[in-house]
Amino acid sequence: MENIEQGLQQVFSAITWLALVEAALVVAAAVLLIFLIQKVVPGVAGKLGGKARLYLLASVPLARLLIIVVTIIVVVPILIEPSFENMVAIFGALGLALGFAFKDYANSLIAGIVTLYEMPYRPGDWIEVDGKYGEVRSIGTRAAEIVTPDDTVVIVPHNTLWNALIANGNDGSDNLMCVAEFHLAPHHDVRRVMSLLRDVAFTSPYTKTMKPVVVVVANKTWGMNYRLKAYPLEPRDQFRFISDLTARGSEALASEGVAFVSVPVAAGA
Amino acid sequence: MKEEHPSESAPSLPGGLIPLEQWKLPEVSVKRTLKDALRHLMAQLRAGVSHDEEPFQSLDDLPSLTDKQIQHIAPRPDFTSLAQAILESLEELRETETLRRKVALLVAPPFSGVREALVRLPGAHPEVGVGGHGHWHLIAPPDNLLMSREDARRWWDEQDLSGPWVIPELADFWLRHSDGLCLVQELLQRIVAGEVGPGLVGCSSWCWQFWESYFPDAHLAPLTPAPMDAERLGQWLEYLACSRDRRPVTARMTDDGLYVLPVDNPSEDSKRKHSGFLRDLATAARGIPEVALAIWQRSLRARPEDDAEAEGNSQEPNGSERHCWVVPLDQLSLPAMPQSRERAVGFILHALLLHDGLHEERIAQVTGLDHLELHLALSRLLRSDLVSLAEASRRWHVTPVGYPTVRRHLQSWGYPVDAF
Repeated sequence: MENIEQGLQQVFSAITWLALVEAALVVAAAVLLIFLIQKVVPGVAGKLGGKARLYLLASVPLARLLIIVVTIIVVVPILIEPSFENMVAIFGALGLALGFAFKDYANSLIAGIVTLYEMPYRPGDWIEVDGKYGEVRSIGTRAAEIVTPDDTVVIVPHNTLWNALIANGNDGSDNLMCVAEFHLAPHHDVRRVMSLLRDVAFTSPYTKTMKPVVVVVANKTWGMNYRLKAYPLEPRDQFRFISDLTARGSEALASEGVAFVSVPVAAGA
Repeated sequence: MKEEHPSESAPSLPGGLIPLEQWKLPEVSVKRTLKDALRHLMAQLRAGVSHDEEPFQSLDDLPSLTDKQIQHIAPRPDFTSLAQAILESLEELRETETLRRKVALLVAPPFSGVREALVRLPGAHPEVGVGGHGHWHLIAPPDNLLMSREDARRWWDEQDLSGPWVIPELADFWLRHSDGLCLVQELLQRIVAGEVGPGLVGCSSWCWQFWESYFPDAHLAPLTPAPMDAERLGQWLEYLACSRDRRPVTARMTDDGLYVLPVDNPSEDSKRKHSGFLRDLATAARGIPEVALAIWQRSLRARPEDDAEAEGNSQEPNGSERHCWVVPLDQLSLPAMPQSRERAVGFILHALLLHDGLHEERIAQVTGLDHLELHLALSRLLRSDLVSLAEASRRWHVTPVGYPTVRRHLQSWGYPVDAF
């Protein structure tokens, strides 16, 4: 411990004001560059559609990591002589600080780096973490921001990665399966309804018809549960798509005389 | 020496008909690909910066040819000849057993001229049927396309599908509506089951993309016209130029004077330097004849000294040959997509391609757009030169010159696009 203190004293006593100003300028330039990338690239991506948008969004955290690494490589030799002793002193002190004072923060930082490598989620992905569902808006150094369908921003610390289940709807692609559910009263022609619902999906203008359209049905104690599965044109269309399927499906079922089941309000009370 | 397939020499259908799987996009240079990708990217990024509609415009100041001159040098093809070439090609495919089915399905990208040719079959070739003799019988769609499965069955029962019958465009027989699928469902099932006589079905590639997804196991082995690569396109444009008054045309680039037409050298001894324009044109038009023709017509220029003279002066004094100039594609600004954050524009354009043109009320039916929204979007697309309204039929269509832009944008917006 005393050795580290002495080492640090030697290291910092050698730093000049000029070196500090130079290092501060490099850091400021890096911060400015990161700020610009985080503002400009998502803006440009927002104007593009399809894969180009996803690729651009995913490049933001990678570019930021690259800038941070380059900045460290540039700044350290400006401030101190990168000898073995100096490095041991600096990293020893850093290790102590991270170990005690900023343990959770460091945990998130490391998880953030793992996130960039393993990519459990990328900007543009639709994920669900701890019951919160939304589109990943940005991936920061410590946490990711997701925007829920109700336009609420939820901050998800990267260390959630270690012990939470993360569901990713589109996993970096622009294919996101949506499910519209229909709860129908029993005693109807099941095959006819399945065919009808398939047609409903194929005739929605939001449907990506080159992807599979599937209808599954399950018999429940109260009636039949139909799940119509299809892909919207783009993941961001998912709610309008499900609404469109539900509206069209309800119309088609009504015209066939198939009734929905409903639970009386009193039963849920 | 390579033995030439007879249909390959049919000037109205260069390359003849080929199985759909053999269709390939005309080759393109890396430079052109990068240029197009950059142009498309810039067009998308302009969203919100420029709100003006951008119809087709020329960026050069050379005098254009008059309409009459264009109609002589680059007229629309003779679809009766195309119908004849299609029949000949089908016969050859039957002889080689490439086509074994009673019903031939011709899938072609929009602006290939297949619909126009098949409509003329009964009048032009009443005696020749598919795989035999008989009278061609044209099947026209009913006025109301929304019907139940039983009604559809009854409707097809009333049609004479025993002899040589022809459907010029399958897209006329359905609507993307839950009640609008039955006619095509029933017809395709009858064709697959072999319950119909010899026939010929034309189908737009966009319509086929939908029905191929809907019936993934149908396996109807569609045929398609061979793509217009640079060589075929050159031959076809020469054929069109000669079709009116049998006089050849010489076309040269305005920037470097290189030859575009004629494709062949006048003799073995005198070799001309040819421009890469036709390759770029074939790529820009995605190998589709009438898209290429529309761009070709817009790229033709008169010589400045001819401008003040009377019409029809794009010819040499001896009157045996005509000359004109061609501006590079870079100097033609093709129609640009109006920017919108809403889906209305995409819905309309996709519906028009799926159905090969639609009436306004039917566009509303298939897209679910209200009339005000639809009217506003159609007006914007019309001003941008991307759609046009046929006066006679009152149907809206995507324009040939706007088609490459429309397809590219629909693809980038996530819409299912055709295989061409």
